Amino acid sequence: MNYVIEAQGLTKRYKSTIAVDNIDLQIPEGRIVGLIGPNGAGKTSALKAILGLATYDGQLSVLGKNPSRDRAALMEDVCFIADVAVLPRWIRVWQLIEVTEDIHPRFSREKCLQYLSSTKITMDHRVKQLSKGMVAQLHLAIVMAIDVKLLVLDEPTLGLDILYRKQFYTNLLNDFFDEQRTIVITTHQVEEVEHILSDLIFIQDGRIALDCTMDDVQQRYSELMVAPDRAEAAREMQPLHERELFGRHIFLYDNADREQLKNLGEVRTPSVADLFVATMSKGEA
Amino acid sequence: MNRLMALVKREFWENKGAFRTTPLAIAGIYIVVTLMFIITFNHFDNEFQSLKELIRFVSQQDVGIRAKFMYESTLAMSMMFSIVLAFVVFFYLLGSLYDDRKDRSILFWKSLPASDTLTMGSKLLSAMLVAPVIFWVVYVLTHIVTLLILSIVVLSLGENPWTLFLGLGNPFQAWSMVLLSYMAQSIWALPLYGWLILVSSFAPRIPLLFATLPPVVLAVLQLWIEFLQTFTLKNNLFGVIGEWYANSPLIMSADNHGNDNIGTALGIPVTSDFDHEVSVANILDRLFSTDMLIGLVVAAVFLGGALWLRHRATDN
Repeated sequence: MNYVIEAQGLTKRYKSTIAVDNIDLQIPEGRIVGLIGPNGAGKTSALKAILGLATYDGQLSVLGKNPSRDRAALMEDVCFIADVAVLPRWIRVWQLIEVTEDIHPRFSREKCLQYLSSTKITMDHRVKQLSKGMVAQLHLAIVMAIDVKLLVLDEPTLGLDILYRKQFYTNLLNDFFDEQRTIVITTHQVEEVEHILSDLIFIQDGRIALDCTMDDVQQRYSELMVAPDRAEAAREMQPLHERELFGRHIFLYDNADREQLKNLGEVRTPSVADLFVATMSKGEA
Repeated sequence: MNRLMALVKREFWENKGAFRTTPLAIAGIYIVVTLMFIITFNHFDNEFQSLKELIRFVSQQDVGIRAKFMYESTLAMSMMFSIVLAFVVFFYLLGSLYDDRKDRSILFWKSLPASDTLTMGSKLLSAMLVAPVIFWVVYVLTHIVTLLILSIVVLSLGENPWTLFLGLGNPFQAWSMVLLSYMAQSIWALPLYGWLILVSSFAPRIPLLFATLPPVVLAVLQLWIEFLQTFTLKNNLFGVIGEWYANSPLIMSADNHGNDNIGTALGIPVTSDFDHEVSVANILDRLFSTDMLIGLVVAAVFLGGALWLRHRATDN
């Protein structure tokens, strides 16, 4: 198996806090991995280590390279979009395209212009004249025109309206993703990405709380909805999490017998958001 | 090489105002002042009688003196460009590794396959070569335009500008001397440039404060300690920086060179470590001195520190 990212004992310390705490991680190629965690869980710190933007302790290999030492070489095969608009505000669109073309051996100007042609962005626009959504479109157009093996997206759609967000992921799936490529996404908006993910990593307090494929999620986890009179019986089957909605009790189970659950009430596969809440509250308990 | 050029181009785009508009503004000032001078002259003396007399007086002077004046005035014209260039480069370098951290665009630049060394190199190259050469080109053009204006005035008065001043000297010699002094100054100023880049690589805010406060505090401490020990004020940091500035290979002041021969001077003629007369030999003398060698070591330490910090820098 070819791993795009391999980490052993990855740790990132700031002065007094540990942002990433001894993480082991293996991400194979051709996957779309969701790195999901609450604010301050260490997602961005982990990504910065992976991108060679910060120092770290432990073993880390990205596409066989040491990101801290070989960032420049690594960036020929890796691209990333950070959580905020990071395109320089003074630059004009044509300048951005020209400088990227000159520096990046795998950038295709044609592709980029093709993506941009469906937007309102013109070559003479300065980044600071563009709306937040347009800056995201521009950055995505640049990134998608680069033929890389790994794309890292850190809250790429934060602050964008729903139309842009939908379009963003549609473009990403249709025009960018294929078997040889890997995408790592962190986001708060779990609902938005859950149908495109192939793998799920929950991160909490700098540690990995859950690491599985979406297929695993379907096989392992079940959600049971029961009437109050059956809640006690459901509780006896050791659910991960329990919540109440409109007077009905909803339980979440890991590795439970679905046939058995069906006797108690309605069974289905939990959404990633519900699984996330359940996992996080288990960690805190 | 391609990448380095792309990064230098980016520096130019980002600093167009400082690198291109500023020297053009100086050129504008020179040309406007020249025109204003002529118009004012004309206002009080619309026949240009006194100017004609001036021309007659000048043409009676010794050719050697006139040639010398042409040469020296050409050199002197560069001073305004040099001073402004120094400020432009100072603030450019102070922001060089700071601005993109502040507006977080460092996250974009670091997503491109260009190493930190190359990025820093492009900034140093812009400060040492690109900005001085642009300023120099505009200076030469300004000189040509002012000479043209003066020639037209002289011609319109029925005199020959060629025999009067144009043909008296080879302007290329003065222009080349200015360019050489700019290039020499870029090397001479490397300790300062290194320090500014270092500060810009770590200052969390107001890099100007971080650049000026430590040397001031250090120098004051030094003054105080030396005073306590010896009751004398010898070589302290202020003195070192002052002397270094005074010894600069940049044409930036005037001197009589020990006789009545007043002309432009390299640096400020208050020190005697180097000869301050403007000449290629004196410029090279500075570049191949022990002082320069020490300066280069200091610069290397600062630049190495800046690179180390840049490697670790992200957006916050």
